[in-house]
Amino acid sequence: MSSDPLVQIRNISKSFGGVHALSGVSFPIQKAEIHALCGENGAGKSTLIKILSGSVTPDTGEILIGGQPLTTGAVRASEQAGIAVIHQESVAFPHLSAFDNIFVGREPKRFGKFFLDRPRMRRETRALLERLGESFDPRKPLADLTVAQRQMVGIARALSQDCRLLIMDEPTASLSSRETQVLFRIIRQLQSDGVSILYVSHRLDEVFELSQNVTIFRDGKHVSTTPTNQLTTETLIKQMVGRDLLEADSSFSDSASGALSTPPLLQVRNLTRLGTFENISLDVHAGEIVGLSGLVGAGRSELARAIFGADAYDGGSILVKGSPLPPHSIHAAIEAGLALVPEDRQHLGLVLPMSVGANLSMTVLHSLTSAGMTSGRKEAPIVRQLMADLQVKAASPKVAANTLSGGNQQKLVLGKWLATKPRILILDEPTRGVDVGAKAEFHRLIRNLAAQGVAVLVISSDLPEILALSHRILVMRQGQLAGELPRERATQESILSLAIPGGAAA
Amino acid sequence: MTDSIPTTITPSPGTPGEGGGEGSPLLTPRAASPKFSFPYWHELILILLTIALFLFARSKDPTFLNASVQSELSTHVWELALLALPMTLIIITAGIDLSVGSIMALAAVILGLSYEHHVPIALACLCALLTATAAGALNGFFISRIKVHPLIVTLATLSAYRGIAEGISKAKPVSSFPESFAFFGQGTIAHIPFPALLFFLFALITFIVLARTPFGRFLYAIGFNPTASRFSGIPVARIKFLLYTLSGTIAGIASILFVSRRNTAKADVGLGLELDVITAVVLGGTSIFGGRGNIPGTLLGILLIHETREFVSWHYQNDELIPLVLGALLILSVLFNSLLTPKRR
Amino acid sequence: MTVLPYGVEQRRGIPMRRLLAHRELAVALILAITVIAVSIINHDFLSLGNFRDILIKVAPSAIVGCGLTFVILTGEIDISVGSLMGFLAVLLGLLTSPDYAHLPVSLSILIVLAAGTFIGFINGLLITFGRVPSIIMTLGMLTALRGATKVLIRVYANDRWIGNLPDTLRFLGTGSILGVPVSVLTALIILILCALAAAYTPLGRRIYAVGSNTHAATLAGLSPNRIKLFAFTLTGFLTAIATMVSVPQLSVIDSDIGVGFELLVVTAVVVGGTSISGGKGTILGTLLGVILLGTVRTVLTFLKLGTDATYWERAIQGGFILLAVLADQLAKRDRSEDE
Repeated sequence: MSSDPLVQIRNISKSFGGVHALSGVSFPIQKAEIHALCGENGAGKSTLIKILSGSVTPDTGEILIGGQPLTTGAVRASEQAGIAVIHQESVAFPHLSAFDNIFVGREPKRFGKFFLDRPRMRRETRALLERLGESFDPRKPLADLTVAQRQMVGIARALSQDCRLLIMDEPTASLSSRETQVLFRIIRQLQSDGVSILYVSHRLDEVFELSQNVTIFRDGKHVSTTPTNQLTTETLIKQMVGRDLLEADSSFSDSASGALSTPPLLQVRNLTRLGTFENISLDVHAGEIVGLSGLVGAGRSELARAIFGADAYDGGSILVKGSPLPPHSIHAAIEAGLALVPEDRQHLGLVLPMSVGANLSMTVLHSLTSAGMTSGRKEAPIVRQLMADLQVKAASPKVAANTLSGGNQQKLVLGKWLATKPRILILDEPTRGVDVGAKAEFHRLIRNLAAQGVAVLVISSDLPEILALSHRILVMRQGQLAGELPRERATQESILSLAIPGGAAA
Repeated sequence: MTDSIPTTITPSPGTPGEGGGEGSPLLTPRAASPKFSFPYWHELILILLTIALFLFARSKDPTFLNASVQSELSTHVWELALLALPMTLIIITAGIDLSVGSIMALAAVILGLSYEHHVPIALACLCALLTATAAGALNGFFISRIKVHPLIVTLATLSAYRGIAEGISKAKPVSSFPESFAFFGQGTIAHIPFPALLFFLFALITFIVLARTPFGRFLYAIGFNPTASRFSGIPVARIKFLLYTLSGTIAGIASILFVSRRNTAKADVGLGLELDVITAVVLGGTSIFGGRGNIPGTLLGILLIHETREFVSWHYQNDELIPLVLGALLILSVLFNSLLTPKRR
Repeated sequence: MTVLPYGVEQRRGIPMRRLLAHRELAVALILAITVIAVSIINHDFLSLGNFRDILIKVAPSAIVGCGLTFVILTGEIDISVGSLMGFLAVLLGLLTSPDYAHLPVSLSILIVLAAGTFIGFINGLLITFGRVPSIIMTLGMLTALRGATKVLIRVYANDRWIGNLPDTLRFLGTGSILGVPVSVLTALIILILCALAAAYTPLGRRIYAVGSNTHAATLAGLSPNRIKLFAFTLTGFLTAIATMVSVPQLSVIDSDIGVGFELLVVTAVVVGGTSISGGKGTILGTLLGVILLGTVRTVLTFLKLGTDATYWERAIQGGFILLAVLADQLAKRDRSEDE
């Protein structure tokens, strides 16, 4: 097809609070093509999606749809231009039926403008679902449907508004392999109907299976747009990662090798939470950094939450220094020396409206008292020390945590747990949304902690990070432990082949 | 590569005076919004309003400000004031307790009935206190363990507790308590009414707990973000349970004071009082969304409500105007507050 | 963050749980059991007259309950309906009674309807665009209107009761059309209209959408503020209607009309299965909740436990909410603690 591209993205830039999420990105999307968008976490993919869908206004640049400039920053304008997004997690209306979810906001009406045209909604829904090869009852509330069915409702909504560009953000993250195949069939069918698809995925096998062109982002910049058949997994990964494997440095002394002979500090035995993860067993020794890799939705964060006592589990046990940890008790976990730096620092990590100092001292405040009252004399030095040690950039301990940048907020989360002097530290995506400089700092900190005898479990979707940090790498796949790789044998390819469903066996 | 970052945290010993002098205000959780660097403007407005009221009152009727008049008028306020203390803590955690008035009624009825059945008055008071505490604990159980919205739980027990009070007393009053019992509501120590002493003691304790203890800091944290608080090891459920139980106990105390003052116990004790209490707390600057508020603000809220009410009643001899004025005051103060601050979460 | 359990798994579970998940069914069942049990003990309970009395009694709560269901569906609350009813009742009395203004009944009705709608609109305006939390706004309104009512009575009626209402107005309260009391007929029409609106109009669906996921509603191009404003205004209007058909039943109007009414209606709506956090609930559920709570006193009377038994009415009503929320919790399968 040599006709004009459907979408032309020209020189789009966007920064949030001084951090460049996107800088000068340009690339075209052809009519009726499946266009894959790849890049590591924080490469700027989701920012581009938000700009295309109209929920974020770019700082500079323009977007042409079929030659017409798109009014940016307006959801309605994007919708009318034929852009629709299927999000990772359904952001629709769980209480409403599939019908209503498809039509809310643009309901067909009859008898004047006051009544829903139910028959038409039924007719159109039936036609849409038929086109998608689905046969579930559209009267059911969305909350009662499976993840795959909810996704179909999202696609149906997109189709019902005559979408020309369908953006899919990690659509297979929570799907089984059979459901994934159904989705692929639909995507191809949409393509043959003339719809363009921007397919955002970490799963390179899917990218190769589906797409005609691949665009790669790295650190907010456009790296390349290449026909898929001119790429190999290796070249693609190399372009995504860009740099040589992040300071897999020579200074990295394998201090944990000695530690392995000692009994493990943390032992997880057959831990199971139904529908989330199953039969997970792992050990972490003092002084060891164990990486936990896997695709989004593989159950890693949920496993971390269960170990930390934040969620209940259905079977198995957790032992610290050989003695069992009571289930579902954060208090007991902290007492035993556990600490969790959660992935979602805004909701789980920090109390954002409170001050930097209050956040840092929160985990140990009960011990910083004299005569039962909080003692500034005891609290202030600890806060100062933590801020200095972690090089937190804040005007004073009094400023609210939400005025800090992402990297500095993450330092606060780490800092408040360092205050407890943990023996076992679980880090969930410790450097997500953190810029490159701060990232190296975090890595140094983590290695230092291990060198001082802390057992560290790092969850990260950032493969170079996992490779650079870990002594051993565990890979999870669909709620199960798919395999373990010693540091020497671990490569991005070997990890991915374990992580991807249908990949190598454990 | 040289590692210059120490990662073990050792509190640097000594350097007394440094940082310690200013105490915990250094870490005050009151996050100043970027627009206003002065964090106490709400309190300032309340003070100005109260002063304006006093000036107006003086120009209309100077006798209103006489000490004797003020002290006589103050007898009505202590139950409300007491209840406002735990209510402040509860609203700071983004909760609410609508059942305090009904708990008062329940405690009053238990007190009256047990006295009528020849239980010694001291023991009857203890029964009332225990009942009130248990009623609060039931609220706390539903809110912290069953995890039902506090508004729903206390709305239900607002009906239920008063209903039980009406049911067991058959809406009949009990009066003629012994002379000695009158002390709680009417007695004085060094010319200060006993209820006032009790209130100021509790207010001081609550103030210290909220402003100066880890527990107080945790309340703010829970109000802003209960999940992050839980992930920091704060026992969120236990703290909530404790707060609602405490609220019940204080309602029991308020009930004893009220019965003693009026010398009568009936199922309509404290009817509608919860609304006045919440009005005082919210007027005092505590955010209904949690995370913001303090005891001095609540004291000012109580003062403003009390003086407005008594002045309207004293000068205009018109009790009907009071709710109109108080309702308007509540709406306008919150409206003013939300229009001045950036968008709510 | 939270992984929703797959739908198939969600619907597995013991039948009791499934029953509890359908609140309308559960409430209807409780109601049916109650009616059957009471009529076995006392045969008079099943009389047509008694049935009619109960319906007349619950009509005003049903009418206001419709509006409040919409408000709660959007995730807000309105606790000012009781004192609004009191205020409008006094207004209606003062306007129509020959002792006072003696305006034509039709004009008075229009004024009262306008006043109710306007106050509902003010509630909604300050809550949405003024960003006053609805609980605070309507708490303030509750207090203020209660005061305004007393001021009205004091200034215009010299603190006396208002009696001597014109017969045309009386008809609204006590009259019947084809044997059906006017109030019951009005309630029925409003219930049907609101149930239809909830299920078959874009506006109805959008009310659910706003309560279900405000953010997604904004993304779908809806204006949550305007939809909430509508719900509050409608509640004001319906409260005026409820006043019109219930107050003329009374021989005199005093300042205590509607005290505690807001709690009864909120309770009924919640018992009927409307979620306080919005997005879930039906008009039918509200109707059943209203009838269930409205029947309690009659049931207590008919059980012949002595006159004292009726004092337990409020305790039983409160107990119903606690039971309802417990049922909700049992019906839930999701153990994840954080939303």
